Amino acid sequence: MKTCTMTGCERVERMFARRDQDRVPRCDTYWPETITRWQREGLQWDHNDALRLLETDFQGLCWSWPSAFPNQREVLAQDAETETIRDAWGGVARFWKGRSGTPEHISFGCDTREAWDKIYRPAMLAAPNQIDTHAAVLRFHEGRQLGRWTHLSGVEGFEALRRLIGDEACLMAMIEDPEWIRDIVSVHTDIVLRSFEGVLAEGAKPDGLWIYGDMAYNHATMCSPAMYRDLVWPAHKRMADWAHAHGMHVIYHTDGRVSGVLDLYIEAGFECLQPIEAKAGMDIRQFAPTHGSRLAMFGNIDVMKMATNNLDLIEEEIRTKFAAGMATRGYAYHSDHSVPPQVSWDTYKAIIGFIDRYGYY
Amino acid sequence: MPLLNDLTAAVAAGKRVDTVRLTQELLAAGTSPQAVVEQGLVPGMAIVGERFKKNEIFVPEMLVAARAMKEALKLLEPLLLKAGIKPKYTAIIGTVQGDLHDIGKNLISMMWRGANFAVVDLGTNVSPEKYLAAAQEHKAHIVGLSALLTTTMPAMKETVRIIKAAGLTETKIMIGGAPITQEFANDIGADGYAADAGSAVDVAKQLVGDAA
Repeated sequence: MKTCTMTGCERVERMFARRDQDRVPRCDTYWPETITRWQREGLQWDHNDALRLLETDFQGLCWSWPSAFPNQREVLAQDAETETIRDAWGGVARFWKGRSGTPEHISFGCDTREAWDKIYRPAMLAAPNQIDTHAAVLRFHEGRQLGRWTHLSGVEGFEALRRLIGDEACLMAMIEDPEWIRDIVSVHTDIVLRSFEGVLAEGAKPDGLWIYGDMAYNHATMCSPAMYRDLVWPAHKRMADWAHAHGMHVIYHTDGRVSGVLDLYIEAGFECLQPIEAKAGMDIRQFAPTHGSRLAMFGNIDVMKMATNNLDLIEEEIRTKFAAGMATRGYAYHSDHSVPPQVSWDTYKAIIGFIDRYGYY
Repeated sequence: MPLLNDLTAAVAAGKRVDTVRLTQELLAAGTSPQAVVEQGLVPGMAIVGERFKKNEIFVPEMLVAARAMKEALKLLEPLLLKAGIKPKYTAIIGTVQGDLHDIGKNLISMMWRGANFAVVDLGTNVSPEKYLAAAQEHKAHIVGLSALLTTTMPAMKETVRIIKAAGLTETKIMIGGAPITQEFANDIGADGYAADAGSAVDVAKQLVGDAA
C-alpha cells in the first residue's frame, strides 16, 4: 500500500514546478452513459464517486461560456428521440433527449457581421455575469478543505466563435473578414475575464485557470498555425496573462492533433495541455521529451484502448505513457477524452489499480 | 488552354468571383460544360485535396475553394443536365445512427463533389436501413459513413452488415470520423477508411477503380 504525503493542491503545484511529487495528479471525465452503466455494475452514486475512488486532485469552481441571451431555451420541435432548441446563443440545434452527444447545428442566429454588430455584440456586453459567484466560492472552500487544486473554467474565443456563428461561417470569415473574428474573440474574452473577476471579488483564490477550446480534429488544427497566431492567439495570451497576474497557473484543453501549435501554446503562457487525444495521433511518448519541460502533459491515456477492456493492453498504455510523462515531473493522469460506456466498471477499477502501480514517484 | 488553367488556379485559391467569371468566359468561348468541370474545376479541387493532406492549407481554405466550385456549378449544372451528362460515380453520405455531428461529413461531401462525384447527403442520425435504401435507389458506387463518437461506432458495424447482407456488389463502403481507424474498418468489414477529407477522395477513387 503506497502512501500519499501531499495534498492534491501541493501535488499539482509541484507538477507545474517540475518538482518531486509523491504521485502523479489525477482527474478524469466520463460520458453520462458510462456512469449509468457503472451504476448497474456496482458504482454506488454518481461521477463524483468515481472521482473519489480515483482520488482526483482537481476541483472546478465554475464554468464561463457567456451567451447573448442567458436562460433562453425555446423548444421549437421534438420527436421521440430528439428536440430542436433555440439556445442562449441564438442558434437552433437538435439535441438528443436523455443522451449525451454532439448536437446537430441547424442554424446560427449570429450569421452575419451585421447581426453581430447590431444584435449580438451589444447583447453579450449587456448581459449580466452568468457565473453563480456564490456557488463558486462555496466550491472553492470545499476544494480547500479537500486539499484539491482549485480552478476556474471557461471557454476561449475559438470555441465561442464556433458556437456563435457556426463552423463554416467562422472558418471562412477567418479568411474573408478577419476583423470580425478578432472582434468576436476579443469581446468574448473580455466577458469571460470579467466574469472571473466577479468570482475573485467574492473571495475565492483559485490556483488555476482551465481554458477550454477545441481548435483541432484528428488531422490537424482547424486553421493554420499562422491564422491561429494572428486571430485567436492574442486572446489566449491575454487569458494566460490575466491568470498569471492573479497567481494562477494555466491549463489548456483541446481535442485533436495540435502538434503544430505546441510552441505557440507555450508562447501564449499555457503551462499544461489536456487531454492530449491519442486517437488524433498525439502521443506524450513523443512530445514529453521535446516539450515536457515547458508544457506539462495532462492525459493521453487512450479511451479506445480502455474500451477494449483488454487489461494487458491498457496496462501497457498506462505504464509507457506514465514513464514518459513522469520523466519530466510534469505529468497528470486523465483519459484522452471522456471515458466511454464501452468501459466496464471492473475495467475502470483495474485502471485505477494501474495508475496506483505506475503513478508513484 | 490558358483559361482552363486560370480556372483551376482560381478554384484552388478559393477565389469565388474569379471562378464564376472564368466559368462564364469559358462557356462563352465555346468550351463545353463538361470540359469546364473536368479540366477546370476538378483539377482545382484536386490541388486543394493534395495541399490539405500535406497541411499546406487547412479547413478555411478548403471551405472557400469548395464554395467557389459550388458557385461555378450553379452555372454549369443546368447545362450538363440539358446535355444529359451526369457524374460517372454516385456517393451516398451520412452520419450514422445515434450521431448528430456533421462537419466532417460536410467536408467529405464537398470534396467528393469537387472530384465530380454525384453526392446524396442523407444528413445525420441515419439508420442502417436508410443507408441501404438510398444505396439501392441511387445505385451508389460509394456509401460513406461518418461518426464522431466512440458511442456511435457500433452503428457503423450494423450499417456495414446490412449493406453487405443485401449483396450490393457494386457498392463500396467507406468510413471515417474522429474515433475511426483502419483497424476498425477492417474489423467491421468496411471497404475503405479515410483519415481526412483530402484522402477521402483518393480512397473513393481507388474503391471505384478510378485512381490516378
